[in-house]
Amino acid sequence: MRLDRIRNFSIIAHIDHGKSTLADRLLEATGTVALRDMQDQVLDQLDLERERGITIKAQAVRLAYTASDGITYELNLIDTPGHVDFAYEVSRSLAACEGALLVVDATQGVEAQTLANVYQAIENHLEVIPVINKIDLANADAELVRREIEEVIGIPADDAILTSARQGIGIDLVLEAIVKRVPPPQGERDGSLRALIFDAKYDAYRGVVVYVRIVDGRIAAGMRIRMMNNKSEFVVDEVGVFAPAMTRVDELLCGEVGYFIASIKNVRDSKVGDTVTDAAHPTTHPLPGYRAVTPMVYAGIFPVDSDDVTDLKEALQRLNLNDASLIFEPESSAALGFGFRCGFLGLLHMEIVQERLEREFDLSLITTAPTVEYRVRLRSGEVIAIDNPEMLPDASNIEAIEEPRTKATIIVPSAYVGAIMELCQERRGEFQQMDYQPGDRVALTYDLPLGEIIHDFYDQLKSRSRGYASLDYEITGFRAESLVKLDILVGGQRVDALSMIVHRDRANAHGRKLAERLRKLIPRQLFEVPIQAAIGGKIVARETVSAMRKDVLAKCYGGDITRKRKLLEKQREGKRRMKRVGNVEIPQEAFMAVLKMDEE
Amino acid sequence: MFNDVRSLYLHIPFCERKCEYCDFTSVAGATGSEAYMGALNAEVRRIGERLGPLALDTVFIGGGTPSLVEPALLAGLIATVRSTFSVTADAEVTMEANPSSITAGRARVWREAGVNRISIGVQSLETDALRFLGRVHDADRALAAVAEVREAGFTSINCDLIYAVPGLGDTRWRRTLERVVDAGPTHISCYELTVEAGTPLHARVRRGLVTPVDGVRSIRQHGIAVDLLERAGYAHYEVSNFALPGEECRHNLVYWRNGYYAAAGVGAHGHLPAAAAAAVGLDVAAGAVSVRYWHGRGIAAYGRAVRGGELAIAGSEPVGPGMREQERVMLGLRLREGVRIGASNLSEAHALAGLGLIAVDGDRVRATARGEAVLNQVTLRLVGDQAA
Repeated sequence: MRLDRIRNFSIIAHIDHGKSTLADRLLEATGTVALRDMQDQVLDQLDLERERGITIKAQAVRLAYTASDGITYELNLIDTPGHVDFAYEVSRSLAACEGALLVVDATQGVEAQTLANVYQAIENHLEVIPVINKIDLANADAELVRREIEEVIGIPADDAILTSARQGIGIDLVLEAIVKRVPPPQGERDGSLRALIFDAKYDAYRGVVVYVRIVDGRIAAGMRIRMMNNKSEFVVDEVGVFAPAMTRVDELLCGEVGYFIASIKNVRDSKVGDTVTDAAHPTTHPLPGYRAVTPMVYAGIFPVDSDDVTDLKEALQRLNLNDASLIFEPESSAALGFGFRCGFLGLLHMEIVQERLEREFDLSLITTAPTVEYRVRLRSGEVIAIDNPEMLPDASNIEAIEEPRTKATIIVPSAYVGAIMELCQERRGEFQQMDYQPGDRVALTYDLPLGEIIHDFYDQLKSRSRGYASLDYEITGFRAESLVKLDILVGGQRVDALSMIVHRDRANAHGRKLAERLRKLIPRQLFEVPIQAAIGGKIVARETVSAMRKDVLAKCYGGDITRKRKLLEKQREGKRRMKRVGNVEIPQEAFMAVLKMDEE
Repeated sequence: MFNDVRSLYLHIPFCERKCEYCDFTSVAGATGSEAYMGALNAEVRRIGERLGPLALDTVFIGGGTPSLVEPALLAGLIATVRSTFSVTADAEVTMEANPSSITAGRARVWREAGVNRISIGVQSLETDALRFLGRVHDADRALAAVAEVREAGFTSINCDLIYAVPGLGDTRWRRTLERVVDAGPTHISCYELTVEAGTPLHARVRRGLVTPVDGVRSIRQHGIAVDLLERAGYAHYEVSNFALPGEECRHNLVYWRNGYYAAAGVGAHGHLPAAAAAAVGLDVAAGAVSVRYWHGRGIAAYGRAVRGGELAIAGSEPVGPGMREQERVMLGLRLREGVRIGASNLSEAHALAGLGLIAVDGDRVRATARGEAVLNQVTLRLVGDQAA
């Protein structure tokens, strides 16, 4: 295909603004997917993606579109994840494109996440085509949204396309605009190969399938290629395109988007953002922007049944094949036994991993409260990174504990500004900026500790703004704060998996709340169970789960035995979902209690 | 011959009226009892054909209200049992009876038919509690009934009582116990009122008309019974059962010691060793040590099935070695004599002993008073994870 007949584009949209529906319509309109094969969210292949209505993995699909000028163009749509956790993946997907559709809900307006992604597109010199979607809804206000796009994002929106993806309105206009406004790719067809990896997935039968955008040169079966990041080399077995099923082609040329397979066993050898080159004629200039993805959130994952630890390890390894951003290493807890310390891109990523482990691998798990990575400066001058409160050295050896800080942007209707500012204050946020936007909305900028954001901040943001507030954040650096370790004792025994690092000013309040919550979560046992919160050996809160008084069946005769035994078996099933720590049975939810402290 | 099957349970489902709390198989009125008793006799004979002349140590005729049916019919049933099986000379033959259908004359017929232990559904001696429970007798009738059966020659007499009745305070519960002790039964059962699904009581609770007694008061009333009856010489030998020396119910001990028993009649449950179960015609899964089985609850269907040459068995469950062990421990923990436990559960047993919930003596454990109050939990911890 000639370069001038290729258009590579992405779709930027906030969750629920209609990205997947628009993609579905584009596939239909170009005949890429026959109507009878059409189902909602064609590109979201994981069950979880469909259920949650989100995109987790990037996808690519080639559309053949005959434009009004009579010429048939090759349009490559790269569908990107929409969540803040996957910001880096989004940036690489965008780097593989020349244009982006900016989809904004005509009833909702521009959201913080959209803003962050659109700026990335602009930084990558993409042509941004505003699309105002859901214009068929009664409360749509296209004019207001148009003004908002111009004033908030700062790009012209006179020629924004008005669509209703659900009703199929404006789809042709979108396709025409892609052809006319998105610039064709540039590149040196005869240069040495440079291909950008924007995703990879593990296929049980074929190994790793690498998603690439060819920037220079060509790639074909039989070629020996090299990953510039770790210098590993492979021989290409197959190249192809997504139409939308994987379809083998002879070669992928400069400007094109597709996949290759090269007997790669591990997605770690095909990292998003890496440059693929020709091992025989390597380029000396890798594509810009590669960075190793670092986890933001850490948590321990333990099997409820200690015998399942090997199964858990295998499951993590299997997930890891498809998700290089998940990292894990063995961890052992006095309370929970053997498990794994896992690093995630964010809370959503953590939830997804946990849900997939339980669902796809049938494991019953305990996930400990998530934490961020702290930097600890020791009196010896040494600086260590701590991603597990349990690893915090003795206080006497600590010079300072530094926590990761973020610049957080929150866009919220002005009616809720007070509530949201209060939330940010509670979470030790430092106010930085407030900007008024069209449509009576406000953009707040705060310096917030990352550790506060991962503790139920997003849910609180949503509940205190009736779902209207949106959030984006980026790490700005580390800052020394007065931080202490809060320990929890259950039945007089410290439960390491419940320890957390908190700010000293709020440690007592935190300890009280946590103890209270645990009292509600831990069922009555055969004896009284004290729950205590302690800071450095000093008890700051105490609650008691009183002993179970009565659980006995009055009658048990010949006809009651089978029923009685089944009842016991059911009770025992319930106990299987609990972890015995010392003599106390603690339910799974208790280990996540700290996450939900602002409830009720 | 099946030497280890030495007990027989017979169910008679007729009552004057259905009690508010009762979920046993029973119907109001004695209409059709003649036909039913005919079917029951037939089933007893059929069991005899299949299992041979079992040597029976205990026979229990329960209900419903067996005392309600014509004494001659009962005598006929016992005669059938005696001619079908070999009832041992010192066998315990219990019959349940309600005060309202007891007279000295009827009692004499039962006695002559071979019943030697009688269990009377007294339940309470407080008028409001009896009315709440839906009982048709009053306190005077209940006490008179005890005198009448004694007059007829019965020396083994049980009185069933119920506590944790809404509105029945500790003082009046104690008064009921004292008056019953004065009446001089040899055995007393004290049951907590439990709200079973499908009973009128359950509907009243659901509609908010009745608030069940809370667990703390219930346990306290249980404790009152234990103290008072032990002081009166009744040994607390099972969670809900008290007996003068040598007067424990041998039939019920078979249940709690995880023994075997054949069963006949609507709703009746039986437990047979695998070979006997196979002889009866039950499905016996490979590896099963024994089989628990039960009859359907419909009286008409029961009659039809028996007339058609069947045993009217509605369901069964094979018991493998693991499940058998679980049941053994679960049932044995109810007894004051305790139960032997496997070595793998000994450390758990010592942990529970440390909490004051059980006493460990070698490889035997028994629940303490505190442990008995939470016996389900204690059981859960002691049945371990034996595969079912």
